[in-house]
Amino acid sequence: MTFRQFAFNNVIRNKRLYIAYFLSSMFTVMVFFTFAIFAFHPAFSGGSINNNALFGMGVAGGIIYVFSFFFVLYSMSSFLQSRKKEFGLLIMLGASNRQIRLMVFLENIIIGFFATIGGILSGLVFSKAILLIAENVLIIDETLDFYFPILAIVVTFISFIILFFCISIFVSFILRTKKLVDLMKGDKQSKGEPKASIILSIFAALLLIGGYGTALYVEGAAVIYAMIPVIIVVTLGTYLLFTQLSVYIIRVLKNNKSIFWRKTNMLLFSDLSFRMKDNARTFFMVAIISTVAFSAIGTLYGVQSYLTKGVKEMNPYTMTYNPSLNDSKEVIEDDISRINAVFQDEKMETKMATMELNYFEVLEDNNVIIVRASDYNRFAVLINEEELQPGKTEAIVVEQSGAVVMVGEKASERLMRNSIQLESGDKLQPTRVLETDILPLISGYYVVHDEVYELLGPPVRSDFSAVWQAQDVRTEQVIEVGRKMNQLDDNLRYKSHVVDYTLFEINKGFGPILFIGLFIGIVFFVSAGSFLYFRLFSDLDEEKRKFRAIAKIGLTQKELNTVVNRQVALLFFSPIVIALVHGVVALTALSHLFDYDLTVESSLVLGSFALIQIIYFMIVRYFYVKQIRRMIF
Amino acid sequence: MLKLTKVSKVYEGKVAYRALTDISLEIETSEFVAIMGPSGSGKTTLLNIISTNDSPTTGEVEIDGANPHKLKKNKLAKFRRNELGFIFQDFNLLHTLNVEENIVLPLTLDGTGVREMKEKAQKIAENLGISSIMNKRTYEISGGQAQRVAIARAMIHEPRLLLADEPTGNLDSKASKDVMTMLESINKKEKTSLLMVTHDPQAASYSDRVVFIRDGKLHSEIHRGESRQAFFQKIIDMLSLMGGDGNDFSTVRV
Repeated sequence: MTFRQFAFNNVIRNKRLYIAYFLSSMFTVMVFFTFAIFAFHPAFSGGSINNNALFGMGVAGGIIYVFSFFFVLYSMSSFLQSRKKEFGLLIMLGASNRQIRLMVFLENIIIGFFATIGGILSGLVFSKAILLIAENVLIIDETLDFYFPILAIVVTFISFIILFFCISIFVSFILRTKKLVDLMKGDKQSKGEPKASIILSIFAALLLIGGYGTALYVEGAAVIYAMIPVIIVVTLGTYLLFTQLSVYIIRVLKNNKSIFWRKTNMLLFSDLSFRMKDNARTFFMVAIISTVAFSAIGTLYGVQSYLTKGVKEMNPYTMTYNPSLNDSKEVIEDDISRINAVFQDEKMETKMATMELNYFEVLEDNNVIIVRASDYNRFAVLINEEELQPGKTEAIVVEQSGAVVMVGEKASERLMRNSIQLESGDKLQPTRVLETDILPLISGYYVVHDEVYELLGPPVRSDFSAVWQAQDVRTEQVIEVGRKMNQLDDNLRYKSHVVDYTLFEINKGFGPILFIGLFIGIVFFVSAGSFLYFRLFSDLDEEKRKFRAIAKIGLTQKELNTVVNRQVALLFFSPIVIALVHGVVALTALSHLFDYDLTVESSLVLGSFALIQIIYFMIVRYFYVKQIRRMIF
Repeated sequence: MLKLTKVSKVYEGKVAYRALTDISLEIETSEFVAIMGPSGSGKTTLLNIISTNDSPTTGEVEIDGANPHKLKKNKLAKFRRNELGFIFQDFNLLHTLNVEENIVLPLTLDGTGVREMKEKAQKIAENLGISSIMNKRTYEISGGQAQRVAIARAMIHEPRLLLADEPTGNLDSKASKDVMTMLESINKKEKTSLLMVTHDPQAASYSDRVVFIRDGKLHSEIHRGESRQAFFQKIIDMLSLMGGDGNDFSTVRV
């Protein structure tokens, strides 16, 4: 048996030991490969997707690659940790340092090679699914057919062979061989708790409070400036939270004998403090990675809903028409009949309403629109909104409900302060503010009684607006109308506006970004899960031995379940809860930036992540308990 | 106290292996019995069956008139925790816990009050001479100390039957002597029945009675008379008899 044969057989005949590391490597390759299949799809090189999206995909691929590197490195080092004793034995039998390094290097190359091939193969299996999902998320004209992704295979293969080669070299050099004795009983000695000081613990709390406070306090454009400092402060705070505060809390709990010495608590806490150093690092990483995933997906989803919902709210009608300033009556009538013709072509029943928009001079302002109540009500009926019946002595201020005000006072505040001068010398006082979307006018307007309207005198200038509301039609039909209107080559395409078509265009442009964001977010989230899995299973043998020892003294299944349950739950949920809190704060800050309520979106995103985590917890716990129980009972 | 009737154990497998054949054995309350025999004779299998870690293929085990093998799993765990004490060759201490915590573990699992646990641990530690290392971690203490901690853990809940599997197997002669003296005095003072499996004739000579088994069958047993020294000699003789080929020495010559 040559040394090479030894290293090879060591892997092949020890499958079970290597399987976790192998699977996680394979998973990484698979993720990269599926992404490559998507990114290199011939439909994209054809050119329906713009260059920005392609560039975005390139960057995303790079991020996944760099992340894969660190992920594999982490899996590798935690895998080597669990093999200390084996190395100790080899050294004892006379293996030199160089030989051990060579062995680790060869093993890594073998595993890396098979993981790359396995990842590509399993990626091929899933590729049709991923293309189907992409096709539905992205709104593109072509269908993403299955193809044999030669380019993706080549790129993935070369990238990962290089990656595993680098990691193999890297790891075999950082593999420090300690004293033999330490290696042999390496698993018995605690790596020690990180030193916890009260000052640093308080500092951690202060950092988090400060970061959160700032993130929640700032509004509008200031959010962007506050973002980087807040991220740094919160990251640091999270690190200290796990390395200081948690150690401190556990120590306090341990010193309180009436808690620590209560039934299974003793097993739980002693275990926690024994592995505190490893745990703290894992918790920190998982919390940060999950936060990135939550925030990225939450942001993309939030922005998309902001764009679409905002547009939809501000334009409640199927179609609106606003002529240019100097269009004559004939041009307007011609335009309207052409629009009606388009609707008829599509066999859509529509109701139309038109209105003269007249600007009047009021006290401080000379360009305020005042609307007749009957005009307003005609529009309101179209979209089933409440009609208004203002009294003869009042004016009602109406502003858009979704109106975005970045700076300055709201339109309604200004309008409420003013009063309207009538020809008779009387003044009309605005009585109340109403938020509707009947007229798409950002600056707000007054609604007055028809009779009062006649007393206003001549308008400063006049405008025209026409709206159409379709009855019982499918969105596709409306989009088709919008496409036809957009293909007109005269000015009418700029004067008319079909909201569903605009939304369709927004979604089409946003689709790739959303898909890439979702993809990366999910990759991050799943790897966070794998980190936890590694943490748990790298100590599995140790745990088995421990529980077997306790079982000999007498441990009921229920007690075993309690201990393991809490242990796994703590591992799974403490970083995720922190990440969820981070995510909530980040998304709240985002909603402050847009001044747009993201409660529904963020609870949807964070809620589904929490749900996935709970399911993941159930599955892992089931297998973990099963493994341990098989060893004992 | 403990009664075994015709206990047999067959390990199923491709080649079935008969580890124990019709072992019948009785141990009185507060008796100290050692089981000896060559490697592979079934000593540990027998102990595992008594300690309920393993179940017999046929035959009955009775501890105080009840058969623990008929208990449900959870009841069995409680039974072990309350009625039995274990001492292992490799100590089986939990290295995530310190010495004191290891000692009180059986009581903790049972939900005893903290003060009571502390008192009991302190008392037993003083008896065993380990009160000075109560706050040490398990990798900081020597083998002899570790075994005394294990004894403390096995004794803290005052079990009726103490089972020891090669308690001196990992210890030097001085530590062995200390541990055996301690076990003997526990047996005499607390009236705890003690069953010990051992290779070591020195350790076995502390018992009241030594049972020899070979090839899974009871071979013979000898009782201790007045002097431990003479008993030790008898054990040595018996071992050399068992170890030898039947016709090397005539039994008459002993």
